[in-house]
Amino acid sequence: MPNNPKSNTCDEIIFSSFFKTHIKALRNFLFYKFGDTQKAEDAAQEAFLKLWQNCSSVPLEKAKSYLYTIANNNSLNEIAHQKVVLRYEQNFSGLDKTNENPEYILEEKQFQSKLLKAIEKLNEKQRTAFLMHRIDGKKYSEIALELNISVKAVEKRIHLALLSLRKEIDL
Amino acid sequence: MKKNQLLAKWLNNDLSEDELAAFEASPDFEKYKKIKFYTDHLEVDDLDEDTMLSNILKQKKAVPPKVVPLYKNWLLRIAAVFVLALGITFVYNTLAQQTETADFGEKTAFSLPDNSEVVLNSGSEINYKKWNWNDNRHLELKGEAYFRVSKGRRFEVETNLGKVSVLGTQFNVKSRKNRFDVICYEGRVKVNYNDNQILLTRGQGISFENGKQLKMTITSLKPEWMENQICFFKDNIKTILDEIERQYNIEIELNAKNTTSLFTGKLPAENLDTALQIISTTYNLRIQKVSKNKIIIDEK
Repeated sequence: MPNNPKSNTCDEIIFSSFFKTHIKALRNFLFYKFGDTQKAEDAAQEAFLKLWQNCSSVPLEKAKSYLYTIANNNSLNEIAHQKVVLRYEQNFSGLDKTNENPEYILEEKQFQSKLLKAIEKLNEKQRTAFLMHRIDGKKYSEIALELNISVKAVEKRIHLALLSLRKEIDL
Repeated sequence: MKKNQLLAKWLNNDLSEDELAAFEASPDFEKYKKIKFYTDHLEVDDLDEDTMLSNILKQKKAVPPKVVPLYKNWLLRIAAVFVLALGITFVYNTLAQQTETADFGEKTAFSLPDNSEVVLNSGSEINYKKWNWNDNRHLELKGEAYFRVSKGRRFEVETNLGKVSVLGTQFNVKSRKNRFDVICYEGRVKVNYNDNQILLTRGQGISFENGKQLKMTITSLKPEWMENQICFFKDNIKTILDEIERQYNIEIELNAKNTTSLFTGKLPAENLDTALQIISTTYNLRIQKVSKNKIIIDEK
């Protein structure tokens, strides 16, 4: 419905809540893709700004795919990829508090840092799908929709991501 | 299930009990379990959502509120149509061919863009283009016309019989049927007829008929037809009657064989009876006025 004046996307309250629901995931998605938080944030803001400016022609049901389409087409494609540097949640050690064996602690710490390095080394497609699932807790079907690929393709990417992570850690 | 989806299914908790049991038994399971466990606790820097949101909401006001398309404004629409029509008229006027005509029984006087004056004799037509006239003074003439040309670039009169080119002068061109007359009243005139090129000076005239060339000497300062006289120089009766038909806008039927005698002289262009009287006396013919516009001429 182009130029529908009743499009509720233009309502400031509705738009704001839509923004809050999706901004983090969109920013994260762009971050996984490009590895630079600042640029990912700029691009996410850009996408939302376009949605806001064109709110009268984009009904709310289509707003999400509109966002991801813009984000996917974004000129960030031309920007050199950087490493995706991640970190674990604060206050998270991942350690079994009952086991204070120094050898165990060392091993776990080593595993954690190897894992982060391995994720950095994943190729962009696998990393993006994998992190959308792991960090943003998205369903495969959601990821498929946002990446504009099939669910099978998402599963394949995640499977391959796991395989290469394991390989990388074993080295 | 295909092997290549197994890990993805497991990560999404989609494995059946059997599949899960088999996978848990595999040697790599512990590693995958660790990967799953640790990646559950990854995070990305927080972002300042509120600042970003207020930035976005602010931005919209910076964008022009609403663009009203030009064509939706009636007044502008009408104005646009008007301007367009004006433009088309202008372009048409300058680029399109201009035609000036004088019907039978009429004379037409007009000015060219460089203020040169043209008087068209009855039953004549001139075509020219206003576009770039000053650099390309070229016109096509059918019939007879008198020109008073302003000084400037070469001025050309093209007829189907020959071409006349001048710089600035006064001259008369007559191109009727096979006869082509040019008379120069001032300045110099160059006449091209077939391969001949003749230069006329003041008071000189030239006449071509069927390739034959006759020289004329003129004493008048203007063509006689402009003073309502019809002037002939060694013309046959057919030519004379054609001219009378044009001047008086009538029809003349000639039922006589003797048409070879040539006539030199003047006939009035405003008095048909006198003109016919002169012809009847000269050629010894009987003239019958059948109706107002029809005349039959017989041998006596």
